[in-house]
Amino acid sequence: MNNPYEVVPATIYEIIQESPLIRTIRVQPEKPIPFKTGQFIELTIPGIGEGPFTPSSSHFISEKMDITIMKTGFVTEYVHKAKVGDRVGLRGPYGSRYPLEKFKGKDLLILGGGCGLAPLRSLFTTLLHEVEDYNSITFFAGAKTPKDCIYKDSVTEWRKYDNVRFMRSVDVVPDGEEWDEEVGLVTSLLSNLDIDTAKNPAVVCGPPVMMKFGTMDLIKCGFKEENIYLSMEKKMYCGFGQCRHCVMGEYYACKDGPVFTYARIKNEEDIWE
Amino acid sequence: MIIKVDEFYAFLYKCLEKGISDFDQIILPERSGNKEHETFHFARLSNSKEYDIDTYRTVDPLKMFFFLPREKMVPETFANTKRLIIGAKSCDIRALDVLDKAMINENFVDPGYFHWRRNTTIITADCTRIAPTCHCNLVDGKPYAEKGFDLNLSRYKDFYYVTLGSEKGEELLTLLKKESKVEEVPANVVAGVEEQRNKIIRQLEKQNEQFERTNDYERLKQSQMDNWSNESQTCIGCGACTNICPTCYCLILNDETKAEKFVKVRSLDSCQLNGYARVAGGSTPRPKMFQRFRNRYLCKFLFMKSNFDMLGCTGCGRCTEACAAQIDFRQVVKSVLNAVAN
Repeated sequence: MNNPYEVVPATIYEIIQESPLIRTIRVQPEKPIPFKTGQFIELTIPGIGEGPFTPSSSHFISEKMDITIMKTGFVTEYVHKAKVGDRVGLRGPYGSRYPLEKFKGKDLLILGGGCGLAPLRSLFTTLLHEVEDYNSITFFAGAKTPKDCIYKDSVTEWRKYDNVRFMRSVDVVPDGEEWDEEVGLVTSLLSNLDIDTAKNPAVVCGPPVMMKFGTMDLIKCGFKEENIYLSMEKKMYCGFGQCRHCVMGEYYACKDGPVFTYARIKNEEDIWE
Repeated sequence: MIIKVDEFYAFLYKCLEKGISDFDQIILPERSGNKEHETFHFARLSNSKEYDIDTYRTVDPLKMFFFLPREKMVPETFANTKRLIIGAKSCDIRALDVLDKAMINENFVDPGYFHWRRNTTIITADCTRIAPTCHCNLVDGKPYAEKGFDLNLSRYKDFYYVTLGSEKGEELLTLLKKESKVEEVPANVVAGVEEQRNKIIRQLEKQNEQFERTNDYERLKQSQMDNWSNESQTCIGCGACTNICPTCYCLILNDETKAEKFVKVRSLDSCQLNGYARVAGGSTPRPKMFQRFRNRYLCKFLFMKSNFDMLGCTGCGRCTEACAAQIDFRQVVKSVLNAVAN
């Protein structure tokens, strides 16, 4: 019988410091962890604890995995102290995935900010693998300041595709920092949309406040509630709907989510907290 | 069949001493407390203690034998102990039903819970008295088990009327017949047991008369936050109610890895604690005590109902008994429901 609490040991083979607070650790698990984009895993720092993170790499690669993590709490502090060669543990994958079959042939909007770009990078790079299957992909990415922007190295690559539009904005440009792209909240980029919002899907991930106002703005733009996909962040402690920490009303963020349509959860309490 | 009470206890000691069964442990309620406030707790059978498998439920919930308060899940090191538990009550058995659905289903099997469930035989016993907080009658329960047991004992005068509930029970019954003097059921016993059970039901109804309420629990959700705030004013958020609840199974998983081996330890958590749902960065959906207090009631009456098609409250009343602030669970439900009605 499989032990659901069992951990797959993995080794960190590369660390990319994306911004002062965000780093991507690239890990090689002892056995492949085939996941679907949007699903999450539990990452164990030995002797410290574990936490839920969404892989930020394409699901077409299962023998290796990128995980982008912001330094924001107890476990993540240790992630940011980790070195190449360190051993970590992985459990999973858990939860629901992005329904790619519903995106095919459509004009997809991806809207994200801050460390919320992590699962979106997984989605985006997965889409790029079969990019001709999608009519167009619009990716709006936000950050607080230019130096908080992550995945800087991929920007040129991501702008190579004919049917892909990748735009970035930062909230502010502090003195001394350079920036020649948009300035303003990421939602301000929505004014550049040139797709039929009533018929197409949108995916949102970011800090709770950004997701809340992002979703409201998408609805104003004409997106349907059932076409807005959210990656919810709750305390997904166990990953399989047992521990109940991530309960949102009758739903579990870990088992029924983390990918939910807004239509499905809009009546639950405190979803943005 | 029936068996004399003395004869049944003699059988238990025989099981332990002579090794006629493969039970490593026999566990049953032991009397504690004083005359004014009698309590019972589960204890291992030995020669020196005072046991009572009838009366009412123990202080400790039956779940602690299956969902241990703290247990190592990885690597698996479960002891291969065969246990016979006697004197479990209907409220605890119904709670195991909830836990079974949560812990052993097509998507998930908890290795610890599964192990202990498989290695344990349960003999339930009808309640012959009620505790001041007992209220199974308010949540569709009965003071005797109708299913979920291996054997059930109904005390009648100085003997037990034995009911069979499972294959495991059948094995035990065979052993009981072989090792002890059992008798055919006399004509009046079934009716006598029935009458005894009805008597307890009447006692429960009387005790909980003032708590009679609507069963439209959706109204708990509709009730104003002010009502919850009022009801939870004295709550100190200690989490005793959830730890002692026979259906609460919220868990935390701690990493105790040393050297090369990954170690995961599962412990009980409580939704009443402030840090329970807090995510990294400090955000939490229920920062206020009344929100966490309310969450517990919604979980019992709505969330568990929708997830398992069963109420999460089996009416044991342990949460009321354990509450340092003397908050009566029945009263809260009634007040909050009534506040909606008005």
